[in-house]
Amino acid sequence: MGEKMITSYILINMQPGNSDNAIKEMRKIENIQKISIVTGEYDIVLRVETKTLDKLLKVTDKIQMIKGVNKTTTQVIEKEIAL
Amino acid sequence: MKIRKKYLFYLLAFTSSIIAALLTGIDVILEQYLKNPWVLGLTIFYIGVLMSFIFTLVFSIPYKGKSLGARTIDPTFKRIRLFKRVELKYHLLAGAGNAILTLGYFALLIIIKDPSIVLPFSQVVILYLVIIESVTEKNTPTLVEVQSSIIVTFGAILGSISLSGTISLQALAIVFLVINPGWVLLSINQRKLKTIRIDNKPNDAINIRLWNVIFACLFCAIFTLIFDYLNGTNNLIEAVYSLFNQFGWLILVGSGTFFSFVFYIRALGIGKASVTQAVRSSVIIFTIPVSITLAYFGYIDPITTDPVLVLIKLIGIILIILGIISFALTLVKAYIFIKLKPGYPIEKTMQKLWDIKGVNRVCAVAGEYDVIIKIRTRTLLKGYENILRKLESIEEIKDFKWQSVLKDWENI
Repeated sequence: MGEKMITSYILINMQPGNSDNAIKEMRKIENIQKISIVTGEYDIVLRVETKTLDKLLKVTDKIQMIKGVNKTTTQVIEKEIAL
Repeated sequence: MKIRKKYLFYLLAFTSSIIAALLTGIDVILEQYLKNPWVLGLTIFYIGVLMSFIFTLVFSIPYKGKSLGARTIDPTFKRIRLFKRVELKYHLLAGAGNAILTLGYFALLIIIKDPSIVLPFSQVVILYLVIIESVTEKNTPTLVEVQSSIIVTFGAILGSISLSGTISLQALAIVFLVINPGWVLLSINQRKLKTIRIDNKPNDAINIRLWNVIFACLFCAIFTLIFDYLNGTNNLIEAVYSLFNQFGWLILVGSGTFFSFVFYIRALGIGKASVTQAVRSSVIIFTIPVSITLAYFGYIDPITTDPVLVLIKLIGIILIILGIISFALTLVKAYIFIKLKPGYPIEKTMQKLWDIKGVNRVCAVAGEYDVIIKIRTRTLLKGYENILRKLESIEEIKDFKWQSVLKDWENI
């Protein structure tokens, strides 16, 4: 059976001036499926896939350790419709 | 490894084109030995099934927890598997499309020979695709899409002018009535297959290709059988003989086609079918060196040096490139974070959001927001007219925030 993955969005607020380096760091993290730089209230949106909530915590931890990351908001996906 | 999503898409589509261009060269050489489209088509499918099966098996070998295929080509690939029931309909249609396309293509190749003429013609398929997508994908084409498709089409027509100055009506008929409809059938259904979720995970390109070639081989055999029956020929068996006679070239074609299609299908999963097709039309640029090489070795007539014809061909190629670039540079993506009012069933609201044109992902989430949707639109104006106005008319929505995407990366 295909194992169920937990997919979530992590919305990130950055300190100005560190984005390039921070993105370089995020690109190294395996569980991050997608990185988008956005305009508006947040600066970066990540799509993360993990096997367990525990693993998700580890990923958020890793992200919070990155220099320049001010605040993260995690949104776990409960149901999804996509093409 | 993460790579800019846009680059990944182009990398896949261009690699697929380069392989396809080389393959047409080999097809021309094969055509010297097997001068019958039925035998040629069927032989190619026989070897196609064999090679795809072998490759899929090899890619299923696990290595450090993941399959070889997932590590190298398509991260969603797990192992070789049977097709699922939901896939059957699309596989049947895509297989028929592939069989029709291939037979038409070889018939054309036998008439015209020069691959740098045969392939540009088939690029007109993008016009068909834009029309069909506007009907099926809840997406009306914008001016840019119509413009770019027309530019690509005219470019393809100019680029396809034979360097000896002739255009064959019979060839045109094959292109417009057989090859292009076949392509559309294949392309649309392959995209459908790529977007179906299998066991709650995205479908993988490798298994799609394997089953497509099996179904196409079946259809091709049926078509050939009918033709044989009506004409008293024996192409079905002849194809088996030629399989053994031309084994070397055929193995090259079989493996090349497999990778060309796997990359193409993966690209389809990222972009719209018409955009993927536009990028893949670069194949006609890559066929020019192939044609020159073939002419050098005497497989086809020598290439003309008439400056007018060369100029026309050049203009055609420039138009195609321009069309592709304008396709690529005009996509606006955004996330919209939505807070809902309490007291409404969420599934209904999700469906309402999903029905909005341009919305390609709706996620119910736990946290600060209730729903996150992802949208794709050609222009911001369209985004406002088609999406924001609709959002404002949904009464369940308390508040929403539009976040335009400036740049994104995807895991490959």
